[in-house]
Amino acid sequence: MRRPTLLALLLAALPVFASGDARQLVQQAEQAYANGDHKLALALYDSAHATSTSAGLLYNIGNCYSKLGDVPHAILYYERALRLSPGAEDVQANLDLERTRLVDRVSQLPGFTLGSAWDRLRGGKDVDQWARRSLWACAIMALAAAGGLATRKPGLRRALYGVAAAAAVATVTSTALAAYRVQEATTSSEAIIMAPSAEILGEPRKGATRLFILHQGTKVGLMGTEGDWREVRLANGSVGWMPAAQIEEI
Amino acid sequence: MNFRTLITALFLLPALLVQAQEISFQALVDRNEIATGEALKLTIELTNASSAGNINAPDLGGLAVLQGPMQSSNFSSINGRISRSSSISWYLTATRPGTYTIGAATVRVGGGVLQTEPLTIKVTQGASSSGTSAAAEQAQKRDPNLFCTITLNKNKAYVGEQIIATYTLYSRYNSLRSLESEMPKLNGFWAEDVELEGNWEPELRTVNGLRYRVATLKRQVLIPLHSGTLTLAPMTLSYLVNASIFNSGTTVTIQSGATEVNVKELPPGKPADFIGAVGDLQLEVKTANTEVKANEAIDLNIRFSGRANLKLVDAPTLNLPPGFDSYDPKIDDQITVNSSGMSGRREFQYLLIPRHEGTYDLGALSFSYFDPSSGTYKQLRSGEITFHVKPGDGGTATNGAPAKVDVQRLGSDIRYIRTGDLDLQPKGKHLFGSLAYVLGMIAPPLLLLLFFLWKRKRDAWAGDADLQRRHGADRAARQRLALAAKALEKDDREAFHDALGKALEGYFADKFNLGVAEVNAAMIHQHLDAMDEGRTANELIAMIADAQMARFAPVEGKPRKQAYEEARAIIHRIETRHGK
Repeated sequence: MRRPTLLALLLAALPVFASGDARQLVQQAEQAYANGDHKLALALYDSAHATSTSAGLLYNIGNCYSKLGDVPHAILYYERALRLSPGAEDVQANLDLERTRLVDRVSQLPGFTLGSAWDRLRGGKDVDQWARRSLWACAIMALAAAGGLATRKPGLRRALYGVAAAAAVATVTSTALAAYRVQEATTSSEAIIMAPSAEILGEPRKGATRLFILHQGTKVGLMGTEGDWREVRLANGSVGWMPAAQIEEI
Repeated sequence: MNFRTLITALFLLPALLVQAQEISFQALVDRNEIATGEALKLTIELTNASSAGNINAPDLGGLAVLQGPMQSSNFSSINGRISRSSSISWYLTATRPGTYTIGAATVRVGGGVLQTEPLTIKVTQGASSSGTSAAAEQAQKRDPNLFCTITLNKNKAYVGEQIIATYTLYSRYNSLRSLESEMPKLNGFWAEDVELEGNWEPELRTVNGLRYRVATLKRQVLIPLHSGTLTLAPMTLSYLVNASIFNSGTTVTIQSGATEVNVKELPPGKPADFIGAVGDLQLEVKTANTEVKANEAIDLNIRFSGRANLKLVDAPTLNLPPGFDSYDPKIDDQITVNSSGMSGRREFQYLLIPRHEGTYDLGALSFSYFDPSSGTYKQLRSGEITFHVKPGDGGTATNGAPAKVDVQRLGSDIRYIRTGDLDLQPKGKHLFGSLAYVLGMIAPPLLLLLFFLWKRKRDAWAGDADLQRRHGADRAARQRLALAAKALEKDDREAFHDALGKALEGYFADKFNLGVAEVNAAMIHQHLDAMDEGRTANELIAMIADAQMARFAPVEGKPRKQAYEEARAIIHRIETRHGK
């Protein structure tokens, strides 16, 4: 019985929970939100966010902003929540509702989104989902292989080796996805425009040719950086420069 | 002697006859306490003085003369006694409150001088406001005999706040007949006439020392409808004055001054449930029946009472749950308009018809009004209102099924927050790449490898039959002798030997598939002689016999420990030889 004990210990040590302090803040914020005091709820969620994070927390902050009428911030936090948990249904629903209040309508490039199937596949309630799955797959692979070695019955042995092989494939796949998810969650490549209206210029300097004007809440992709200027890309493929202060990274 | 002389003689006659009458000289007032602006009458009366000089008027001590001096004298003859008196009178008034002293009046009668007692007059602050008299003084300049004023109780007001306008006529003419009157046009005001109490009784009032008969023509409650400076145009009145049987009179047309009101907008921050009322309100919400059947009417009465612009209060919009039919409310007013403004109550009577059964929670109704005295909005709240609607009878029940209604989309809102502990994680920490993750990924293959190596070693060992048999024999001996070992430890002779004997018999029987009853010397020889020329067989037979013996007799051939070791050794030996 040596092996399963060790494995259980390892797995039990994995979820590193946030401090009780943040949890208490979250509880108070929930109470305040239920009472309709969205300002207080936002302040409490924000202080919880100083030390901890989760898709649920970001989503709730987005809800507070939405209730307070701050559309760009609401969108920003919904997008952040989606980055931690792609395809989360409630976040997507609120984000869609919030987007109806935007000024800009930017048509998307065809094929820009892989759609919700890909979201669902790589999504999950947090970033660590695939990392956890890879640990399980690895453990199952080892157990199945060990079982195959141990048994005297040839039929069972074949079956167990089959399971081990499948688990090995799953281990490799889920490790790759886990690596992708962490990379996706930690590097930001998109931003939300915070300024009520922002001019997108042809060059990273004041007085350059104005290409187009965007309004608050619109999502842009981030490309290059030049001093205080960021090169942004719209969903329709247009590219230009704007001051970094007018946007906030997702 | 002409006619005039005769008259004079007739007048003088009594004077000659009243020599003996008593002379009196006194000062009288009709009252000795007045309010500012009111008048008192001072009379200095000299009686029965046959020959008197002029009466010297007294020092009036600061009181102002409204009218006078008026002189009068009369004769009277009662029961043959003739009396004569003469008097001087004044109407006096004071503009400031205080105590005034009317000094002594003197008169020279015969050889002496008579004088009156001084009088003390107390003057209190009059009721008439300074605003009224200022407007009156202004108007007086145009025509001191006949003028009119419009006075307001305030010149600054909020939109919707009540202002009371008083239209007053001041006259010094005895006879007045109204010909024409044009009241001001009220632009920007809601006006409500006040029923004037009592008769059209003129009162006396003093303006700038002149006495007037004053009549209140009209009183109005004005409610400004928008902000800004609102102007009341002057009123114009025409009167026929001094008409009598001798005189056809003259027509006088007078005009009041224009009056301005500074109307302030209600302060910002108007609550959503503001009902347009300005003043002081109370709320009473009554529902006659909160438990009804579907399709039965519910009466909901919302009553506002107090002093406010009640006639301008709009029907509040009820936020009814869907599935309720409601009709425009009936308005039931009991509003009185008097000199202190508009007050009373306005009641909105709603008729609500629930169409479906269920429990409907309307919550507390709340309405806001503006309180001009504090300059803030105030909220009135009713109690919680809940309707319990039971299934109706009849109605749609003809075919047994309720009429289907499409689900109505009433609005859109974001979804609610996630609750619970939200799976909070420390910021910036991910499972992937952490030490725990690396260990968790390395450990299973590593353990698998260890397992594989161990297994291989074990298989190799299993291939060595002799080694395995020896190992197995040892284990078999230990297992068989477990009971004996226990008895040995307990130092229980009888139990030890019993267990030892049974263990050996049992082992032999099991080993060669025999029943325990079949175990005997012949059988042992049969199975074990092949081993080592019967030595083991003899040994085993001896051991079983010894054990049986030692069980019943307190004699032991050898120490128990030795007997145990020997039994173990023999089982080991047989097992090694006869292993699997």
